[in-house]
This record gives sequence, C-alpha cells and structure tokens, in this order.
Amino acid sequence: MKIVLNRPRCEGHGLCEEAAPALMHLDDDGELVLHQEEIGDADVPQAQAAVRVCPVAALRLT
Amino acid sequence: MTDSAAPVSDLDLFDDEVLVDPYPSYAALRELGAVVRLPANDAYALTRYDVIRDALADWETFSSAGAIGFNPMVNEALTGTSLSSDPPAHTRLRAALTANLSPRALRGLKATIEAKADALVEELVAKGSFEAIDALARALPLEIVADLIGFTGHVRDNMLRWGQAAMQVLGPMNQRTAESFPIAGELYAWCSAVTAGDLTPGSVGRGIFEAEARGEIPPDTAGHIIHQYLGAGVDTTIASIGNIVALFARHPDQLALVRENPALVPAAFNETLRFWPPINAWGRRATRDVEIDGVLIPKGAKVAVLLGAGNRDPRHYPDPDAFLVERNPIDHLSFGYGPHGCAGQGLARLEAHAVITSLSRRVERLVVGPEVRVPSNVTRSIEELPVLEVFPA
Repeated sequence: MKIVLNRPRCEGHGLCEEAAPALMHLDDDGELVLHQEEIGDADVPQAQAAVRVCPVAALRLT
Repeated sequence: MTDSAAPVSDLDLFDDEVLVDPYPSYAALRELGAVVRLPANDAYALTRYDVIRDALADWETFSSAGAIGFNPMVNEALTGTSLSSDPPAHTRLRAALTANLSPRALRGLKATIEAKADALVEELVAKGSFEAIDALARALPLEIVADLIGFTGHVRDNMLRWGQAAMQVLGPMNQRTAESFPIAGELYAWCSAVTAGDLTPGSVGRGIFEAEARGEIPPDTAGHIIHQYLGAGVDTTIASIGNIVALFARHPDQLALVRENPALVPAAFNETLRFWPPINAWGRRATRDVEIDGVLIPKGAKVAVLLGAGNRDPRHYPDPDAFLVERNPIDHLSFGYGPHGCAGQGLARLEAHAVITSLSRRVERLVVGPEVRVPSNVTRSIEELPVLEVFPA
C-alpha cells in the first residue's frame, strides 16, 4: 500500500509521528517527512493509525 | 431506494437544561438513530461517532458555507471567513489563518507558555483556595492570546466578553443571541478598524498585517484573522482549562495516574476534551440528498453535528460516561475533523498540556465546592468553580 500526504493541508500537528514513528517524522522545520511511500504489510497497522489520528485528514492510504 | 424518514425527537438543543447537561439527551438521540430530525431546531442531528466523523471529512456533501451557525444573521456575518467557506476558497483562507497558528509556527512559544502556566499554578497552590475559572481558566488564555496577538489597553479588557459573545451568537435567535449581537458587533467593528500600529511590535498579530502588506495574504484579511483568533480561541480554551480543574478534582484517582506517569498529560487532555467538549453542536448544510444508515437527509437541510454525542457513543468508546485518562481518545471529535478541524488546536494543546503538567506536579488533590453553570448557546463551560482546599504534592 501507499501513504499519500496532502501537503498543503498538513499543518504539522505531529500526531501521526507519535502513532507511526517508524514511518514518518516532523523535520526541524516542522514539515512532515514520509520515510517511504510504499509500505509493506507489516507496517499497515501503524500507517492506518497515523491516517486515523491526523486531525485535518491530510493523510490517506491507497 | 429504501430511504425511510428520519426518526423525530421533540428535543430542543438550545433549551437551558439541555445546554447545561446535554449528555442524557444525546444518549436518547443516539438510541433513536444515527440521524434524528429535530423540528424544534429545524435540523437533522448527527448523533453517532462514525457518521459524525464521516460527515466532517465530507465537505462536499456537508457544506460550511453559510451553515455553521443556527441563525441566518450570524451565517451572513461570517461569509468570507475560513470557518464558513468550502474548498477551494477555504484552502486559501485557512492557509492565511494557520500560517501563524500551526504547531510549527508556535514552537518558539512552548517554553513561555509553560513558564506562565507554572507560575500561575504555583501562586494558586500557595494561596490554598481560589476561584478556578477567573484565577486560572480565564487568566491564562487571556494573557497568552493577548500577548500572542499583541493586544494592549482596552482590548485586553474586552477579550472575555467579546470572545463569549462571538460564540453565543452562533445559536438560534433566542434571547442569549439577541443580547450578544451588539457585543459581538463591537468585536467585529474593532477588528475591521484595527491596524498594525495598534498591535505590539514583534507580535503574531503585527506579523499578520506585515504578511498582508507583503501580499502573502489577500488584502483586508488581517482583521478577519484577528477576529477568528479572538472569536474562536478564547472562550473555548477557557472552557477546557476550567474542565481540567473540575475533572481532576472530581476524579483524584485520574490525577494520581498522571502524577505517576507524566507521559499521560496529552492523554488527560484528550479525555477531558472527549468527556466535556467546549463545543457540543456545530452546523453544516446538506448540498445534496444524502442517505445515512438508510435515512434520507434532503438537499438544503440544516445539519446539527453533535460532537458531544459522538464523543459518548458506546459503539466507539467503551464505557463512554466514565472519565478515564488512560483511554487516550486521540480521535475525539471536540476539535472537529478534516479540512475545518480546529485551526487553533496546536495552541490549545500547548496551553492545556502546560496546565495539566503543572497541576499534576504541584497538586496531590483538590477539594472543590459546587460548580456553577450558566446556559450558553454554543460554549459549554463552568462559570464558577471554588477550589476550597489544595493538598500540595
């Protein structure tokens, strides 16, 4: 599966980083960095958690 | 089509008793259905967690344009604000609003806010008894927002009543709304006339005017943005800080959990927001005939999104009427969700986390007297909360 970030919508609340620290982090400027777009099956639950907690619905899984 | 008519309830969302304690009424509505028609409010209420969250994400079906308030006058007045518009116009307005309000913009403020909160809590703990709403819940956000935007003089003195009125007028045209319109008008007039020179140099408010002068945000939007900071960010934050004190006092076992494990501070704020949202009901309008759970909401219908009912939905949160910080309900609905998710939530978290951190470090237990509540159309908050005794940590 693939994580898709709607960058203009992301405001850097950082809840996704807490839910999925292995998959994404906020950089020093507070911008979200996805470690990889394509994710393996093992990481799907973490990715789903990150999508779920984004308060502005800036992340989705396809 | 198998659409059936929505179940109907004679509940009035803006009845005094319902406003003071809406949760028994919400439970009854949830049992009737995920969508319930409320003739008293000429609206279709969304009552269950899943349908609320889906509706908040679906701005194309559930429009905010001219729809967030419950009377036509306020919806007219809010035209052209990010609160009251849909993409694509919303996207640009929201970006201008959040440029100075997003967590990345606020990072530099964390230490200052923590220091202010801790100094205030330290002073109150030393006093041993105090009225928590004036002395803490109002004092802290008023100071922080005033300094942030760069307000001085009489504006600081008006922030509380302006902020309260700006929320009150979102209700139906009842007496509270009618009495609040002139006060909300004062705020609007001030925001329409304010200039960069009225705001402290170096403040975020001054920065918004500088961004306007540089052409980074559209002409004449700086005043609107200041209006939203004050209108949306004061009364609600005050409510949640008052709720933190009241809920910790009522549930010393939950305070003890945070004291033992400070990593629970964000969870405690999430649970406070889930349990007692500052805003329980918010408006939308259906842009098309839409079927939810087999029930038809007709095109053009007013929709009341019952955030506070979704937060207590047992289909989503087990034992929803219990206040349990360890459940960490990070997906609560109190900030809304999606494109219109609370623009000030980063600042709200900074303030509330600072208060919870300081209280949990400095206080073992609080003894409070009865909380005083006054019916209010939109913000549900405690009016007075006497702290009678503090057992310091």
